[in-house]
Amino acid sequence: MDRKTIWIALIAMLAGVLVWLAFFWTPDGTQSLAQNKTHAQLQQAETPAGGDFTLQSPDGAVSLADQRGKVVLLYFGYTFCPDVCPTSLSTLAQALSALTPDELAKVKSWFISVDPERDTMDVLKVYAPFFHPTIVGISGSGEQVAQVAKLYGARYMKQKPDANGLYSVDHSSFIYVVAPDGKLAASLPHGTPPQQIVDMIRSQLKP
Amino acid sequence: MPHFLLRITILLCATLSFNLFAAESNLHVDDPYVRLAPPGAQTTGAFMIIKNTGSADRKLVNAESTAAKTVQLHNHFNENGVMKMRQVESIDVKANAQAELKPGSYHVMLIDMKAELKEGDSVPITLIFDDGTKTTITAPVRKLPMTMPAGKP
Repeated sequence: MDRKTIWIALIAMLAGVLVWLAFFWTPDGTQSLAQNKTHAQLQQAETPAGGDFTLQSPDGAVSLADQRGKVVLLYFGYTFCPDVCPTSLSTLAQALSALTPDELAKVKSWFISVDPERDTMDVLKVYAPFFHPTIVGISGSGEQVAQVAKLYGARYMKQKPDANGLYSVDHSSFIYVVAPDGKLAASLPHGTPPQQIVDMIRSQLKP
Repeated sequence: MPHFLLRITILLCATLSFNLFAAESNLHVDDPYVRLAPPGAQTTGAFMIIKNTGSADRKLVNAESTAAKTVQLHNHFNENGVMKMRQVESIDVKANAQAELKPGSYHVMLIDMKAELKEGDSVPITLIFDDGTKTTITAPVRKLPMTMPAGKP
């Protein structure tokens, strides 16, 4: 590569960053505004079909098919995630804490690890309940997790490891709400306020 | 308004503790904290506001901490709903402006913690800027909210 090519690449990259800043960057202090926007636009992202699956939990296999009559909340993430997953799981925990014990008994929350390589059952067993005692960490082989993710339209991609062998995983950050009849009722985008999650759960629990 | 009072106290403490540093630099760090990592997690983020009251642009180019084996500067992007985390070379702290290191955005990533951090622990973090300035801050470990604030639906 000659110097000119490098310069062109650099300029293109800068242009890309500018476009990102112009269209996607949310300046500081607009947090509540952004959240209101999410409220208004609570769209059902794409409309993936959802569907039954079986994965492993620290206490054995779990199947979505066994959860009819309950609202099941699914979140795809990984424990190495320093910020996005804890933020989402704490939001989910806030919503779960607001439910009555009767409601909570009809809700299952599964944290599905898209990084089964590092997220062993031992890790998931301690990680998920930290947020709320009813959140269960589950996973499977890479292939099994990929199949489940496909059903729900969750996307993720393992990134190249750095010099220390550490890698992050890009991933979509939605809470999927599975209705008591097993159908996918909603995909709540990252940043959905806890009260909206509560409202969604209650609307699904209504007979 | 206990929350308001707390904020003022934190601000006052922060201002007082950074006065020494301010004497030789125009960089101030406000409200630093480290997020309590869930058990089993190997990483967590440190967040803070870095203010630059000087007339020259500065960059945060590195960070060090005795609490973790590796410390990196990171940023997040939300690309069509996919959250991407990337290591960055530096974080701009423009003249007469501030850089906000906050969830979902820039953060100091602590990787492979030497000991499990507990709520209320203090984590020393040394920030290194492009002009060679080094400053060590003490960031308390804070837990994320797990319940909804009362009376606020």
